[in-house]
Amino acid sequence: MNMLEAHSISKTYTIGNRSITVLDDVSLAVAQGEFLVVEGESGSGKSTLLSILSGLDTSDQGRVLIEGRDITNLNEDELAPLRNTTFGFVFQSFYLVPSLTSLENVMFPAELHGDIRAREKAENLLSRVGLSERASSFPYQLSGGEKQRCAICRALINDPRIIFADEPTGNLDSVNGKAVLNLLLELHRERRTTLVLVTHNQEIAGKADRVVTLRDGRIIASIAHA
Amino acid sequence: MLNIHLIRRQITASTHQSVVLVLCVVLSMITLVSLGGFSRSVHSSFLRDARVLHAADIIIHSHSSISPGLLDSMTALEQRKAIESARVYEFYSVVQTVKNPGRSVRRGKKAGETRTNKREPQLTDETGPVMSSNAESSEGEESLLSSIKVVEPGYPFYGTLELASGRLFREVLTRGSLVVEQSLLDRLHLKVGDKLRVGSAVLTIRDVVLQEPDRPVNFFALGPRVFVSSVDLPSLDLVGKGSRVDYTILVKVRDEKELQRIANQLRDASIKDRERVETYRTADSGVKRFFDNFLFFLNLIGIFTLLLAGIGIQSSLTAFLKEQERTIAIMKAVGSRSRFIITHYFMVVAVLGSIGTIIGIAASFLLEKILPDLFRGLIPPNVELTISKGAVAEGLIIGFLVVIFFTALPLFRLKEVKPHAIFGKEEQRSAQSRSTWLTGSTSVIFFILMVLWRIRELKSSIYFVLGIGLLILTSFICSEGILRLVKKWNARNLILRQALKGLFRPGNATRPIIVTLTASLAVLFSITVVEENLNATFVRSYPPDAPNLFFIDIQPSQKDAFARDLAIPAIYYPVIRGTIMAVNNEPIDREAERHKRGDNLAREFNLTYRENLLEDERLVVGQGLFREDWPEVQVSVLDTVLKMKELKVGDTITFDIQGIPIKARVSSVRTRTRSALQPFFYFVFPDRVLKDAPQTLFTAVRVEKKQIAPLQNRIVSHFPNVSIIDVTETVRVFARVMDRLSSIVRFFTLFSIVAGILIIISSVFATRHTRIQEAVYFTILGARGRFVLAVFTLENLLIGLASSLIAFVLAQTGSWLICRHALDILYKPFLGISILMIIAMTTLVIAVGLGASLAIIRQRPAAFLREQTEE
Repeated sequence: MNMLEAHSISKTYTIGNRSITVLDDVSLAVAQGEFLVVEGESGSGKSTLLSILSGLDTSDQGRVLIEGRDITNLNEDELAPLRNTTFGFVFQSFYLVPSLTSLENVMFPAELHGDIRAREKAENLLSRVGLSERASSFPYQLSGGEKQRCAICRALINDPRIIFADEPTGNLDSVNGKAVLNLLLELHRERRTTLVLVTHNQEIAGKADRVVTLRDGRIIASIAHA
Repeated sequence: MLNIHLIRRQITASTHQSVVLVLCVVLSMITLVSLGGFSRSVHSSFLRDARVLHAADIIIHSHSSISPGLLDSMTALEQRKAIESARVYEFYSVVQTVKNPGRSVRRGKKAGETRTNKREPQLTDETGPVMSSNAESSEGEESLLSSIKVVEPGYPFYGTLELASGRLFREVLTRGSLVVEQSLLDRLHLKVGDKLRVGSAVLTIRDVVLQEPDRPVNFFALGPRVFVSSVDLPSLDLVGKGSRVDYTILVKVRDEKELQRIANQLRDASIKDRERVETYRTADSGVKRFFDNFLFFLNLIGIFTLLLAGIGIQSSLTAFLKEQERTIAIMKAVGSRSRFIITHYFMVVAVLGSIGTIIGIAASFLLEKILPDLFRGLIPPNVELTISKGAVAEGLIIGFLVVIFFTALPLFRLKEVKPHAIFGKEEQRSAQSRSTWLTGSTSVIFFILMVLWRIRELKSSIYFVLGIGLLILTSFICSEGILRLVKKWNARNLILRQALKGLFRPGNATRPIIVTLTASLAVLFSITVVEENLNATFVRSYPPDAPNLFFIDIQPSQKDAFARDLAIPAIYYPVIRGTIMAVNNEPIDREAERHKRGDNLAREFNLTYRENLLEDERLVVGQGLFREDWPEVQVSVLDTVLKMKELKVGDTITFDIQGIPIKARVSSVRTRTRSALQPFFYFVFPDRVLKDAPQTLFTAVRVEKKQIAPLQNRIVSHFPNVSIIDVTETVRVFARVMDRLSSIVRFFTLFSIVAGILIIISSVFATRHTRIQEAVYFTILGARGRFVLAVFTLENLLIGLASSLIAFVLAQTGSWLICRHALDILYKPFLGISILMIIAMTTLVIAVGLGASLAIIRQRPAAFLREQTEE
């Protein structure tokens, strides 16, 4: 069984009096433990596809299945447990809660889940990524790389089965970007987590198990790397 | 050059904050214009014309009959045609309906002649009053304590006494006639043309009085008004030595220029300390004093609300400009000067302020429709409440200045926005900058000047500003303390922890919200608790064994017959009227005494004599009521007197007892062991001193409610000179007035709560982006909608609870001080009502906060993320 399947996904946005088709009949499948990169130029619809695959947005047509379960028509409350324990998110702009410290940001999904070991797990993860000494710092006190490492820890604390990463190195310099990507890949390999990553960076795409290329809302290529 | 499109778009881009700013201006305009309009209406309708309020140029007043010297002086002036005069006698008496007037008799008798109970029936014709002999008078069906006003022709010299028939008062009030208030007809089930027994006379009701010029409101009256012509005074048989009558002579001067000279001449001829001679310019009308005090108090509430509305204006503008920060940064990055930017945003403020002003004035006119219902019973029904141009003009000027001064600081601080704010970098601005202090100080000075302008008394203004300052400072300190404790609290529960963190969200304005709400709630809570204590002391706490019927002006010769008629065991207290002339040989300053708040030594006192303490008295100083080793006249004083003047045993007080000076030495000080409604006397003399003085008797009994009317009828039939006061009825009147007054004050205080709520709404919108961000992040991480809802609810609960609890403590402290030290009544905290108010206010804050946050809670993650990515 595939970890994730998308069948004939289409999405159109209306801005003012213009309709813009962002995705047009997109179908794909991601195996368990696979590292999939969705690449394309700016405006190709890759971020939108990621939002729909992860349940953050809804498609106009098509279905999304997670481990065989159709999540297309689930409401927000039904999607919440999936987001909490099945998915992990890493965003280009980090999206850390400004009023929480690094430790609290990482702990948050575990606390939501009622995990009594949330603190211990969070401390271990922060230590793993070299942020032990920044545990009590607020996001505005962290560098870009530190913020993204913190976000990765948050994404992993509940041992999700899929990680969705949208341009995780987009706001980082090349050194930090490389470090963050390596970390992400390392953790993906360690935990056998399925990783769906959106990027326009060819170097990152080269490290994936498979690359799906989007152009004008359509998949124009799907190449597996040996 | 102004960019009108930019101004318009900036207003529409920040709609929420614009609306809040407009509403704050509306609130300030309503406060200024409505209260100002009401105040001017009351003044112009019945307080402005002092002549009408006193119905004369010169007013001579005494509690005993006018002295011969003063009368002679008046006669001389009248003969010279320098003045006209009219005598007025006012007193309370029980009037009675008449089933069967019986045989007609007339009694010719001069006022002041000693009365007896024996009357000899005489035949007469049918004009004039009808007297009924005791043998033949029937006991009327119903009786009612009424306010009798006997007037001579000429009254009123100024103003018009309006009658229901529209006829002239002087044509209607002739011999044998009465003019009464409608409420008397209603309560005794009478109509015009029916007969009414007043004292010993039976008179005919000829008309109904609608408006008295010198008594524009009557809510403090113990009974309805009854006008009697002075030619019927002898037949009433109610005015005699010792009777409780207010003697007034109204004087109209022919030549206004002679007013002061004539007043001085009459004053010189009067007996000081017994007779007061004043002109309409200097006389103190009780009604005017009441309304001046009441409007003064409402004015204070209005200024307080204005201050909070001003804080709301500042808060919402600050939030508005915060939303515009990136735009301002871009404008600066492309070369705009601060002056250009400030001018533009000043125009935004001007547009929003103008919209708020127009709506506020319109709302004030609408509110004027409600005010008559709110003030019903307190102002004459024919008073037209309108908003004058003057009130609108004053409101516009002050409102404009309020907007200017409260928006000065946020506008001025636009200078500090740097172009790199484009990048969204938060920069901590120093609160210590010179411009901040300068602008802040100017606003404080403006506020003080505005208070001075509205109140017009330096001392009261200073006290008020200090009081407000103390209230806000205390609220600030308490809120700061609570927030510091909360910040340290490491809650285990995730929802609680998030809610606590939310209080310190950047831009959350938690502190100003708590301070504003606390201050306004403290005022509201205080009014409620003080009112409850007043109710408890004077209305609800009527002891079951306390007397409820008081009989006054019983003649000593009537005592035995009265006691038989009463048929209830009772103590009869002798009452002799007297005033205080001097203490320790130092004459008292009557004018200064009269201006004191509370009781004073310048009034007339009811003196008595006995040799022993009452059941509910005990001695505080002294071995006995009087000392056997002192040969001189002695007097025992109640400890309440010591609050008016410091006295000790051995001091002397010189009394004027019906024209005879009596110097007495203070022999003891008494106190009451219970503050129940039992008779008590400030001054008690030994028997031998006053036993033979002209006196009346007073007694008080407890009667079952259904027995009151028959007993009253029986007594007044046989003893028409006796006034009967149903204390429960009096208490009901007092409670009604108090209830109305406090409702009005609470109504206007609610406006200050509205100001607090507007600040909450402004704060929610100011932090909208951050709240959405948090809500979306929580959702992405797996939190359900109810988690986000619970966090926001708890955050508002904490704000509401903190504000209410601090307000509760401040209100309890303030109320205790007011009750114990200002009103001198027992104090109870009324925890039940206080808790209910805390719950109500906290619920309101939660509802408002959540209401403003609903759209935020419903925000979908994808839409927000998309916006963030696009930026």
